[in-house]
This record gives sequence, C-alpha cells and structure tokens, in this order.
Amino acid sequence: MENQKTPKTVLIAEGLLKSYALKGNAQQVLQGIDLRVIEGEFVGIMGPSGSGKTTLLNTLATIDRPTEGNIFINEQEISKMKDTQLSNIRRKHLGFVFQDYNLLDTLTVKENILLPVSLTKTSKDQAEKEFNAISGMLGIKQLANKYPAEISGGEKQRTSAARALIHSPSIVFADEPTGALDSKAASNLLGNLNEINQARQVTIVMVTHDPLASSYCKRVIFLKDGKIFSELYRGEKTRESFFKDILDMQAVLGGGNQK
Amino acid sequence: MTTQKLVIRSIRKNIKMYYLYFFAMIFSISLYFIFSTLQNDQTIVTMVEASMNFSTAFQVAGILLIFITIVFTMYATSIFIRRRSQEIGLYQLIGLSKAWITRVLILEQTILGLGALLIGILVGALLSRLFLLLFMNLIGIEAVVGLTFSSQAVIQTIAVFTCLIAVTSLQIIWTVYRSTLLQLFQANNQNDYFVKRPSIVSSILGLAGLSLIGFGYYVSTLIVDHADLLMFLMLLVLASTILGTYLVFRTTISWILYVYRKKQNGNLGLYNSLSVAPLMHRMKGHANSLTLITVLSAMTITMISLSYSLYYSTEKDVRLAMPFDFAVENMQAEAAIISSKLEEEQIEFDHYELDAIRFDGAWVEQDPNVDNRHRTFMLFSAEQMVQAGLDVESPQDGEAIYHNTRAIIEGMENSYPKYVEYPSNDEVNRLTVSNFKLENVMNYRFYGEQLLVSEETFKRMKDSIQENEYKEFLAFEVFHLLDTEKSDTASDIFLTNVDSDLYITDFYSAYEGSRQNYGLLIFIAGLLGFVFILSTGSILYFKQMTEAEQEKTHYRTLRQLGFQVNEMMKGIVRKQLFVYLIPLGIGLIHAAFALNVGSVLIAASMLTPIIISMAAYIVIYLMFTVVTIRYYKSIVTNAL
Repeated sequence: MENQKTPKTVLIAEGLLKSYALKGNAQQVLQGIDLRVIEGEFVGIMGPSGSGKTTLLNTLATIDRPTEGNIFINEQEISKMKDTQLSNIRRKHLGFVFQDYNLLDTLTVKENILLPVSLTKTSKDQAEKEFNAISGMLGIKQLANKYPAEISGGEKQRTSAARALIHSPSIVFADEPTGALDSKAASNLLGNLNEINQARQVTIVMVTHDPLASSYCKRVIFLKDGKIFSELYRGEKTRESFFKDILDMQAVLGGGNQK
Repeated sequence: MTTQKLVIRSIRKNIKMYYLYFFAMIFSISLYFIFSTLQNDQTIVTMVEASMNFSTAFQVAGILLIFITIVFTMYATSIFIRRRSQEIGLYQLIGLSKAWITRVLILEQTILGLGALLIGILVGALLSRLFLLLFMNLIGIEAVVGLTFSSQAVIQTIAVFTCLIAVTSLQIIWTVYRSTLLQLFQANNQNDYFVKRPSIVSSILGLAGLSLIGFGYYVSTLIVDHADLLMFLMLLVLASTILGTYLVFRTTISWILYVYRKKQNGNLGLYNSLSVAPLMHRMKGHANSLTLITVLSAMTITMISLSYSLYYSTEKDVRLAMPFDFAVENMQAEAAIISSKLEEEQIEFDHYELDAIRFDGAWVEQDPNVDNRHRTFMLFSAEQMVQAGLDVESPQDGEAIYHNTRAIIEGMENSYPKYVEYPSNDEVNRLTVSNFKLENVMNYRFYGEQLLVSEETFKRMKDSIQENEYKEFLAFEVFHLLDTEKSDTASDIFLTNVDSDLYITDFYSAYEGSRQNYGLLIFIAGLLGFVFILSTGSILYFKQMTEAEQEKTHYRTLRQLGFQVNEMMKGIVRKQLFVYLIPLGIGLIHAAFALNVGSVLIAASMLTPIIISMAAYIVIYLMFTVVTIRYYKSIVTNAL
C-alpha cells in the first residue's frame, strides 16, 4: 500500500531509441520506450527473446547508452553524462544482480558484499552493521568467510543480491536473477527480494522470462519488438492470480518472434 | 578449407597474441647471430687462438645462450598453447584428429619461426658491426673493422634454430596428445593452485623459507675464510637460498597476505581486492616461475656487477699490484740500457733505486699446535718508498706493515698484530706486523712477501739477520713514466731489454692484458645478461598477460558496479609492483650477498660499478612492469 504522501519518482525514461549498426543495416532494438518507476516499486520486465529486455535494462542501468531519448535517475539526466560520471551514479545510486552472479572468485562472500562500500566514506563499524543486517535478511551470514567456489548457486545469487543492496542504492537492477537457479532456490531468492523491497522500500527493476519470478513484482511490463506492449499491475491480487494473469498475457504476446 | 588456409588464417587472427612471442624469437635469434658472427670474425678468431681464456669463454657463452633461448622458447610456447587450448579443443570436438591439429600447430610455429629467423638474421647482420666495434672498444684494440656477412654464422644460427623448432614441435605433440578434451576446455579457468586458507603447515614452511635464506646468507659470509671448503659451502649456499626462495614464494608471501587480509575482517576494499586477494591465491601457482626469475635475476646482477667491477677497476687493481711502471731487481746494466733507450725516444721518466732485503722467515702461528708457515720475505724501507713517489705511511719503529693485494684471498686479513720470526743475531728475532694493506709496495712477480718498515728498522734488520741463513741484499731499479702517451713504445723497450725467461712484466702490458680479459668478460656477461633479463621479463609479462585475460570478468563486474578505470588501475598497479618487485628485491639481496663473497677478487672498491649495474638492471626490468601495466589498462578499459 502506498502511503498518503506522493511517492518520489526515481527513474524516468523518455522516448528511448537504441539501434545497432550491423554491416550498414541499422537494427532497431528499442523503438521508443517511455517508462516511469517510483520509489519502492518492484517492476518486472518481460518479453520474448529479442524483444529488447536486456538492452532496455542495460540502458536504464547506465551500462549502455541510448541512441536517442532521455533517462533521469533521481532527477538527474544521465544519457549525456561522461563515463566517469556514469560510474559514480552506478556506484552510489545503483545496485546490480546478474544472472551468472559475477562474484569475484578471489574474494570471500563478505569481501564481495562489502566491495561497493569501499572508496566511500562508510566507516568500518557502519559497514559491519550493514553487512550484518543484510546478510541476516538474506540468510547468508554464516557463509561470510567462504569463497564463491564453496557455496551453492542460490547462495551465490543471494550474495550477489546482498552486494547490490549493501550501499542502500536508489534502484537495484536485476538481469534474469533466477535464470541459473533451480525452482526452490529461485523462489527463496524472490521471497527475500520481496521482503527487502517492502521492508527497506528499495526500488527493484528486474528483467526475467520466468512468469513465476515476475509474479513477485508489483507491476510487470511486457515488451515486444522494442516497444512496450502492455503493463499489468498486481494491485490487491494474490500472487497466484497475478501469476495466471501473467501467463495469459504471455499467451497473447506469443512465445517467439512470430511475424 | 585446406589446411594451409586455416593455418594462415589462424596466424593472422592470433598475430596480436603472438607479437611479443614473435619479437622474443626474433630477438634471441638476432642475438645468437651476432654472437656467432663475432665468434667467426677474423680479428677475434686470431685473438681466440692466442688465448685459452678467450676460446673457453666464447664456448661457454655460446652453450649458455643456446640453452636460455631453448628454455625461454619452450616456456613461451607452453603459455601460448595453453591460451589456445579452447581452440584446440574445438577442433577436436568437430572431429579433427590429434595428428591433424599437431600438424597445423607445428606448421604455424614453423612459419612464424622462419619469419623470425629471417628478420633475426637481418637485424643481427645490421647490428653485429656495432657490437664488434663495442667489443673492440671494450678490450682496447684499435683494429680496422671490416665486417663481412659471415656464412658460418648463418649456418650456426640455422642449426640452432632447427633445434629450437624440433624441441617446440615435440612439446606441441606431447601437449596435444597428452591432454584430454575436458582439460583443454578448462585450461583457461584452471584454479588448481587456488589457495583458500593457508594451514599451520604453511606458516611453518613460510618461516622455514625465510630461515633457509637467512642461513644461506650466513654461510655465504663464511666462504671467504674457509676457502678449503669452497665447493661444499657454495653448493650449500645455493641450495638453501634457492629452496628458501621457492618456499617464500610458495607459502611465506601468501601466508603474510592471508594474515593481513584476515585483519581486514571482510572489509577488503577495492585496492586490496585487486592486489592482495589475487596475489594470495596465485602465489603458489607462480612459485616455480617466480623462483626461476629471482634466481636468474640474482645471477645476472651478480655476473654483470662482478665483471663490470673487474673491468671498471682494472687500472686501479693493476696499479695496486704494480705500483711502479717498470721495475727490475739487481739488473743495473739492463736498467741503464733502458734509461738510455727511453731518453733516445724522448720519453720522460723518473728513475729511482730502492734497497731491499730478501730473507727466509716464518709467520708465527698463534696456535702452538700448528707449524709456523715458512716464507720468503722482502723488506722495504718506507722512507725510500716515499722518495720514489709512493704514498705510504711509515710504520712505527720496530713494526712492519704487510703489503699484499691478495691478503684477503690468502686469508691474511685477520688477527693482527702478527709476528714474523727470523734467524737473528740479536735476541729480538721477531718482527711485529701491526697491520696489512691491500696494495703492493713493489711490483708483483718479485719473489717474497712484502713488508714495509721504517728506515731505521730497515737498517737495524739489515745487520741483525743472521749471516749463515739465507739473506740477500737487493737493489731495485724502478721507473715512472711521466709521459704516458708513448707507453707502448716504452713498454716495448722495457720488455725487449729484460730477459724474457724471468717473466718480468711492466704495468702497461699487465694493464692491457687484464683489460682484454675483463673486456671480453664484461662483453660476454653483458650479452648473456641482456638475454637473461629479456627472457625473465618476457616470462613475467606472458604470465601477467594470461592472468589479465583470466581476470577480465572480474574487471567487467567491477566496472558494472561503478568503479572507474583509474581507481581500479591503482589496485592493479599495486599488484604488478608486488609481482615484479618481490622477485627483483629478493634477487638484488641475493646478488648483494654473492657480490660480498666475490669482492675478495678485487682490491679496489666495487661500489660504483655495482650501483651502476644494478641501476641498469632495475631500469630495464621495470620497463616490463610498465608494459604489463599498460596491457592491464587496455584490458580494464575494454572490459565493459
């Protein structure tokens, strides 16, 4: 439930175009996308392969640049920023969860999680406190001194999520976070994300092709051929009925890129 | 697609990866070519025939050069095969036979090798004249250098090259046939050496490594005093320092890093994540090569410093051994002829006569169980020496100073005052030797240990040494040239007028002789050192290149998390400094102790030449660090 005061908008995208030049033929991947995400939202982005999901996420997450259009993160226009400024935005305001975890295998779980707070002015005690809070919430506290090679995929992904949350970012971007997990580990992780989203009012934008994963979201955006095809709000529905809605929408959308 | 096409394509695709390998090959081939050109040069051939030293030196250097080139090429080849293992695996996966793959790889290698051979010989031919001039300059010969393209050198180089190709081909065959598909696909992310948590054993081994090095250093200081055990002690020092170095790399360093890391309690930070963490994990896997690099560095630095010191201090050393330009003993007639001939040639000189006594005596041993050492001594008067232009202090009345440039090698540098006993008419038949000096007061080759006393003591001893024992009064005629430009002519006059059976030599001939010897030594040491440093540098560079590729995903993740290239480079530079400076530092300390032992060979101070050699080595070595860091920078920049 949103409260009485008007929630803050953390992410705005206006008229996003993205094209890749392939041997002279420009291929349009994003064909004009408008999007607004408010603080505390848990947004899912779905769509068939080739619909531009990951490109959209990368563009929003400042890893890639749009060919045209504007992106505002916390009311700052980022599409014209220099690389160093973008890095700063990423480090201070964004968090990332990747499909293949992207943990540094030379670092322990705790070291991996605390990596984003290095180079910031966070004190050691503060960092320790944050680590305890987040790893407790994700249930990985006892793994602190293990190396990524010594833990399971689900644990790795929870570590990755903890790393994305440790510096209290405005938005967490998740790219197919459950893609490499079995269903039990996946629902564990999603449950955790959901709790954190509610408890800490963290904004999460997640790309997924898994209807079960997106049923945890408050809103799901469907992409098709680089455009927004439709949107679904969960509202007061149970997760199960939202899940059915999503499946229905997917059926309308079609699984592949049929022309 | 035919095999040839595939080979050419794959070379073209891999050329970037290969370019350093290619340059390294060109480099070693051209150096070998230069070396064999010099070996076959007419001027040098004549010199070599004249001297055993020269020919052995050339032979040993040639063998070492071939050896290093082969080891280095094998090392580089193994790294490159490993880097291409996925490609090799893919070929096998699509059903190509191992025989086919080996053939393609060998063909590639041979084509690259032939290219390197051609360019290497061309570069070598261009540079060999320069090297010959350098060589002639070093040994102080002014000869007309008419260098022709030596076909003998070409044949030798081709022979060595063929060996090289044969060895690497065998290596390729062995690698391809031995490895399974699974190994090939996993070769790039092999973490078989990954150290996670060092155990108690490793802390013990870590300490053992440090103590072994310390022990080796300690034993090295004993070598000089125990020359009889030279071989044994040297082997002991080598074994314990090399083993110690290996342990230090294998365990000590990662153990120290682990302890440091544990203290951080998880809050490692970016810089340490990019330096301490990967170093700790990889040190064990790098132990072999880092030990090799350290030992090679130590060897190179010692070799270069020592030979450069010998060369650098030749004049001083010869002067210390031969304080007078010419000297003859009891040869007034010859001295007169020499004087007049020198005057004829209008060469200005000073001429002095010096008295001396030669007598039989003995060094008194402190230990009564050991027999006194019987020697023949020569006694000189300090006052006369000062008159003859020598800068010596007069000893106290009744005491003597022992002058010998080889005192340390002969083990005569300790426990002064010593005593010399001689058969005497008086009751005092002992002469107190209060100290020693590392310089002669009379040219060497005159028989007898040199003792310097005051004029008064000299006179008293003249009478007191018993008549019935061996005692001889000597008259030395010594010459100092005031005009060194004609030293050649003067040297000829001197040598033709003294009986050649007496093996008397003059300062200038001795100086020329040792300058040639040490010139050859520094030249060969320099050449080998150059090859050593380039191979060690390249090996480290190759290793770091591979590591950078392996860690590319880490860099991408960090970039995605919002760390900037500059910030990440700070951590990476730190890691590179560790990787490069630790072997360099240990190598320098090893070399310092080795040089400490070697310093007995030279009477003059070695400090300047050692500092110059070490500085040169450090500068060249650090160039590789810079190149590596630049490579990392490009990887990090392009990671996203």
